[in-house]
Parts: sequence; C-alpha cells; structure tokens
Amino acid sequence: MSTAVDLREAFPLTPPSGRIPISAELPSGPDSRPWAMRGARVPDSTGAVAVPPSAYDAARQISIANDGGALTCMANTHTPTVPDGSATNPPPLDEGPKD
Amino acid sequence: MNAPVLVLAARDDWPTDRIVTELTQRGTPVLRMDTADFPQRLTVGARIDQGHGWAGELATEHHAVELSQVGAVYYRAPGAFQFPAEMSAPERMFAAGQARAGLGGVLSALSCPRWLNHPTSAARAEYKPVQLAAAREAGLLIPPTLVTNRPEDVRQFAAETGPLICKPLASPVVIEGGELKTVYTRLLSDEDLTDLRGISVTAHLFQAWIEKTHEIRLTVVGERMFAAAIHAGSDAAHIDWRSDYGSLTYTPTEVSGDVAAGVRRLMDSLGLRYGAIDLAVDQQGRVWFLEVNPTGQFDWIQGATGLPIVEAIADELEGK
Repeated sequence: MSTAVDLREAFPLTPPSGRIPISAELPSGPDSRPWAMRGARVPDSTGAVAVPPSAYDAARQISIANDGGALTCMANTHTPTVPDGSATNPPPLDEGPKD
Repeated sequence: MNAPVLVLAARDDWPTDRIVTELTQRGTPVLRMDTADFPQRLTVGARIDQGHGWAGELATEHHAVELSQVGAVYYRAPGAFQFPAEMSAPERMFAAGQARAGLGGVLSALSCPRWLNHPTSAARAEYKPVQLAAAREAGLLIPPTLVTNRPEDVRQFAAETGPLICKPLASPVVIEGGELKTVYTRLLSDEDLTDLRGISVTAHLFQAWIEKTHEIRLTVVGERMFAAAIHAGSDAAHIDWRSDYGSLTYTPTEVSGDVAAGVRRLMDSLGLRYGAIDLAVDQQGRVWFLEVNPTGQFDWIQGATGLPIVEAIADELEGK
C-alpha cells in the first residue's frame, strides 16, 4: 500500500506552472491578505540590465548569446541578481525551487 | 581522468554555466541535464540487482554518462518534467509522478560520494525553523524567533523582545496584478502592531531585530568557507540588503574559529556540502545566524570580491 506522503520534497523541482506563477489577480483585503505581504513591492530596477537574447547550446551545455559570444551577464555577475521588475524575468531565489 | 560530474540545473541558470565551464576546462567529463528535458530530450535506462547498485545510461542529445561511474552530482533548481502536449491532464499528472519517483528515485539513490547538495537534504534544510533549531544546536547565536498565526502572540513577543522584524518563511516573490513583487524583511513600527489583520490567515515569522553594523555572506563549499562582508549604503538595505543592491559594497572578511566550527556543525547536521549563509554582526561584534540557503546565489559575490567560489565548487565536485 502506498502512503499519502507527497514525494515532491524528496526530489524538489520547479513547479510545472513556473517558479513564480503569473497572476492578474489583485490583492484581496486586509482581513484575508497575509500580513507579511503588506510590504510587498515592485523591486528597484535601477541597477537592472536587460538579459541579452541567448540560446542554450546543448553540445557545450551552457547558454550562448545570439552573437555567439559570452553573455553580458556572465561578465557582469551582479546583473542576474538585480530584478528588473519584469514578470517574465524574475530574480533568482536564494530559497531555491518550491513545489 | 576525473570521474564524471552530473549537473542538474535549469538551462538558464547562468551561475551553473560557470561551474560547467570550469569543469570542462579542467577536462572533467560533465553531463548537464535539466529535469525539464525529461522525457523528451533526456533518456534513462537503469538497472539494479543483487550484485550491483544502480547502473545504466543517462543520455542527452549530445552527452551520456554511465550512472555507476558518476563521481559527484551538482543539484541546483532543476525544472519540472515536460511531457508531450497531446497528453491529457490526468495523464500528465500520472506521468509526472512516475518520472519523479523513477528518474528522481534513481538519481537520489546514486551511491556517488559527493552531492552538492543531495536534494532531500536541501529540501529539508529549506525550512527556516529547521535551520534555526540546527543552528542553535550547533552553538551558533540565533535571534529570538516567533512563528505564529496569533496576533496576540506577536504583541506579547514585541513587548518581551523589543523591536521586531517580519520576514517570509518561504519564497518572497509573487506576481499579482501582472506585477512582480518581493516581500522584503520588514522592521515593525509601533503602528504596525496596532493593525495585525492578516496574521491569522497563515504562518508568519517574527524575529528580534539585530542592531547590526554589517552582514556577512558566508558561502560554504565542502570544508572551505568564503566570507564576504556586505555593507549597506541605505536605510532600506540596512534592514534587507536584497532591497537595494545598488547601495551595497562588499569586502572579503573572515569569521572567527568559533563561528566557523559552529557553521561546520550546522552543515553536518543538515547534511549540506554547500550553503550560502547570512550572518549579522552586531555593535558588540557578536555574529548572529540568520539563515542558510542550500541553493543560494554565489556568482555575484565572486564577481564583487574575487573570492574563488566557482573554483572551490569544481574542486569539491572533483573530490579535491
């Protein structure tokens, strides 16, 4: 007999809907919105640099910019940690994937 | 010839590109895979019997590895399995469960000597309450902490402890109303304590505010530790440095032998070989444990300080 234990945490992966599901829903109200979310805000994008177009090279097993060179963000390692506020370019999470 | 290294990471995880590049330049065989490649661009055939542990081939379009020969696994935020679009939702759910228990099970059971980090250990260590308990047991200094959904407990804790911060227990990022938002650590004001509606709807973490001079990002790779002092240049960054990267300055630093020994005990207790640890240094010079990130970012710290973290990760994966 199998248990009802959720197997996901023994082998955690990014959820099928993406690391951060995109939603058009607006905040609810103060009685139902988690208190900690009162401080939620769009990150400062002052230092953000657009990620250059790139593609994964399956032979080299790394991403390569469309011009064939190394990615700009590879030379400027700070960049990937600065969120630009784009819902399609979320910042990396220290906490790792969450199921 | 070094034993092959198996890398599990999302294709667009650029810090992992650095690890792959470093290993490749050293001549170490690497198979990089994303679980999102399974089953359409990644195949597995694995066997076990009384005489041998799990063996067989894991193959991508361009690379393959013999599972029994894998010397180390680097596991960093791989993606969800991707199945043919023709599948129905029940079929996808069934297939995902089979893939997780099958491919994930075989990989988790590999008897290779080095994991950065084993996924089961990393998943357990993601829980902040687990981290705090382990840090306390390891002899590290931890701030008084409350986890609750009871507003009255928050007020009582504030009365007993003094200024408090609230920080997310799990992922701090949401996308709502089409906007990406982050929940940063928040220093509570007196006004905050007068309206605690919304506390009761889920678990919240409150912690005594540490009046700090600076923070330390301590990146632990195997037996090696790389300490970078993070100096906040704005009020917002002083509370949560992630809220204002542009104001930050970084300098290589060191931690005392006592702190290093405590961190070693913590890592052993959590079963981690890699961790990005956040520490706060108060005005008396005491070092407080805040959290450990089992898949924490390291690349920007190396870029800012020159600390050779990528090289250390490659060393660890090669067993040096």
